Amino acid sequence: MSAKPSMFSWKVHLFVLILVCVSELIGVHELGLGIGTITLFPMLYALIIGSIMSIPKLKILKKKEMQISANILGISFMLFIAKLGTMMGPQLMELFKSGIPLLLQEAGHILGTIILGLPIALLIGMKRETIGATFSIDREPNLAIISEKYRSDSPEGRGALGVYVCGTLFGALYLSLLTSVIAKLDIFHPLSLAMGAGVGSGSMMAAVTGTLVTIYPEQAGTIAVFSGGANLITTLLGTYICVFISLPLTEFLYNKLNPILGRKHRNEIKNIKT
Amino acid sequence: MENNLKMKDMILTYIIIGIIALLGNWAGYHVSPIKALPGMLIIVLITIVGWGIKKILPINLPAVIYISLIALLVTTKIFPGSEWITKETGNVNFLALATPILAYAGLSFGKDLNQFKKLGWRIVVISFVVYTGTFVISTIMAELSFRFIGKF
Repeated sequence: MSAKPSMFSWKVHLFVLILVCVSELIGVHELGLGIGTITLFPMLYALIIGSIMSIPKLKILKKKEMQISANILGISFMLFIAKLGTMMGPQLMELFKSGIPLLLQEAGHILGTIILGLPIALLIGMKRETIGATFSIDREPNLAIISEKYRSDSPEGRGALGVYVCGTLFGALYLSLLTSVIAKLDIFHPLSLAMGAGVGSGSMMAAVTGTLVTIYPEQAGTIAVFSGGANLITTLLGTYICVFISLPLTEFLYNKLNPILGRKHRNEIKNIKT
Repeated sequence: MENNLKMKDMILTYIIIGIIALLGNWAGYHVSPIKALPGMLIIVLITIVGWGIKKILPINLPAVIYISLIALLVTTKIFPGSEWITKETGNVNFLALATPILAYAGLSFGKDLNQFKKLGWRIVVISFVVYTGTFVISTIMAELSFRFIGKF
């Protein structure tokens, strides 16, 4: 990436303008499904219709225009972050009062990928890809950390890149649907879910926060403040914790758990016995 | 890619997104673009100043951090004019700013589709598990600690 990334395409901006206006006019709808009720709101329409328009077979957008769109995405979410910041300022004392939850939810963000991801990855038979796939949510800064330590074409690098690609394509949509389903279970307070939203990725965080605000409109302000706060901490600490804690911890757990949970190993042990 | 961006390109891009969001704010939240214009200008300005600081300072922190902190600072009660800034930026619904972002995300979907098709089923499953893990486990931690300090 030595060349200046291009951010210019009137076509892309025009499409976004149309997507935004159409999506806002459609408004909020609820969709009852077997597993629960799913909340549909403008952001999701813009994402879904945009994705369909971007399918290469339809030939609506050129590859270059998709790349421009991705480049714009990379900086556009900062306006959203700035807006959240302006909501946090007046509520700063409220945030400080929730210092303990803010720190502990951060531990949840950092360890959550490993706690849930690592054992399942080993159980379904993944090898060293597990380390790259589960040490973090694998956004750009995390990819840089992995390729620095293992090279990007190593198994660890491939694991991280795979999660990155899936997250880029489906992360926001998936987390929004998951939020709908979990919120409707009524186990968690909206503020806890709001903190959960601060995953450290602009578009995913926007999607989760948007879902929560649509479900709990009367608490919109506080939800935005707490998800903004959680996201700020994730961004602030994320990279350092990743290098010094998450990655070594994932490697350590992989070496400990792979002999117990890993598929290949179990077969090998069986073979030796027979 | 953060370090490769030209300031001029960024400013123009933010202005275009700002205009789109103003129209979305009008269509979805019935705030006229004229009323929301000062607030949007403040948000765009905070973002650009954040970038400026990132480019000047020798520390390699993501621009998001500076942007968050500036936005937070100018709306705390001790900052002169914070009430006016809070009031004006309040006219821009934060969902109206999020919709264009996800529209750009949507339009870039096709870019990674071929790479996705090459992935094995295991990595796809684990991706969803990883995103579930970070969201659900931090929510559980927040819930438990909120209850512990007696907030609810």
